[in-house]
Amino acid sequence: MTDDNFDPHELHPDDFLKEVHSFEFWFQSVDGYLSDRPYGRLEASNDIRIEGAAREALITTLCNYCVGETAALEGASGMIAIAPNRHSKIFLATQVADEARHLEVFLHRLGELGVADAEAEIARRANPNLVRFKHRLLELVGTADWAGALFAQNVILETMEAIAFDAHAQVADPITAQILDGVVKDERRHLGFGENDLGRLLQDDPDARVRLGAIRQELDALVLAAFDGALADAGSVRGDRPTLGRDYLATIDRLGLV
Amino acid sequence: MSDDPLQSAAPSGTARSTFTLEDRGFLEVPKKWRKYYRHWEGDGDSLAPNEIVCPVCKVVIRSRREIRAGDRLYCMPCMSRLLVVDDGTGSLALEVVY
Repeated sequence: MTDDNFDPHELHPDDFLKEVHSFEFWFQSVDGYLSDRPYGRLEASNDIRIEGAAREALITTLCNYCVGETAALEGASGMIAIAPNRHSKIFLATQVADEARHLEVFLHRLGELGVADAEAEIARRANPNLVRFKHRLLELVGTADWAGALFAQNVILETMEAIAFDAHAQVADPITAQILDGVVKDERRHLGFGENDLGRLLQDDPDARVRLGAIRQELDALVLAAFDGALADAGSVRGDRPTLGRDYLATIDRLGLV
Repeated sequence: MSDDPLQSAAPSGTARSTFTLEDRGFLEVPKKWRKYYRHWEGDGDSLAPNEIVCPVCKVVIRSRREIRAGDRLYCMPCMSRLLVVDDGTGSLALEVVY
């Protein structure tokens, strides 16, 4: 695969999966869009002053993003031990690095907005639905439920995060938009890993759909409510927000979990 | 490739158009693969005969050949294996192959 003209669509399916799960693929990918962006933003960018209700709303939104990213960081790191193969373990190690970076850039942005004690602010402003989701995700990881944890984290949480962050980036201040844009690029890998790995698992174990359906009933409303609220706080126009549910349901439909 | 069911499913027939791909500024995959993907640019954008949108992550996937039903494509940004199908209205769509 050293030939620059080698067509990726010609790869054997096994070689494709090996390539996209690899640490090397991740490293060269993030190098492309993050190497010139300390804390997720271009160094030359000028911040704008955000005050009053807009500042309060952005702080609340970022605090809840931190809750989601912490859930994903703790979830992904715990899932490495229960992942069924080495490709998944290597990929999850890259996801852990991504989630830690996301948490760091959101915390850094909170600092730029004048939040002195981010931990206290996150605890005060955290959406209870998202906190409940985090507890339940970590229970699934703790009981070594690979399919359940993969579904909760890499399908439910990652899909809704990607959609919410992308929608928020369209209406955010320039610095926050740059940060979110970089995070969305990472989320594409995470949600794709979730859907594709779970899709393969369900082909071998179709009965798992019943159990995952129950997890969906319990958890997806929590995340949907939390991120819909975050988008409202962030100023996303109402007309754009149904996308959050529609794109998520398309994923659920492809997996046969409707 | 003879053991690849998606490759063998590709139909034979009239000659296809071929395309020379150039980098369109897509940075989310290693440099050697970047010209095979681009971002959808919103209103005013359109797909060429060698392009199709990934149903999982919405990135535009590009091929050196005109895309036809039965082709196998990969979306590297979201790790998806995809099969090109006729959607029944004369347009092409992608199904995820798990």
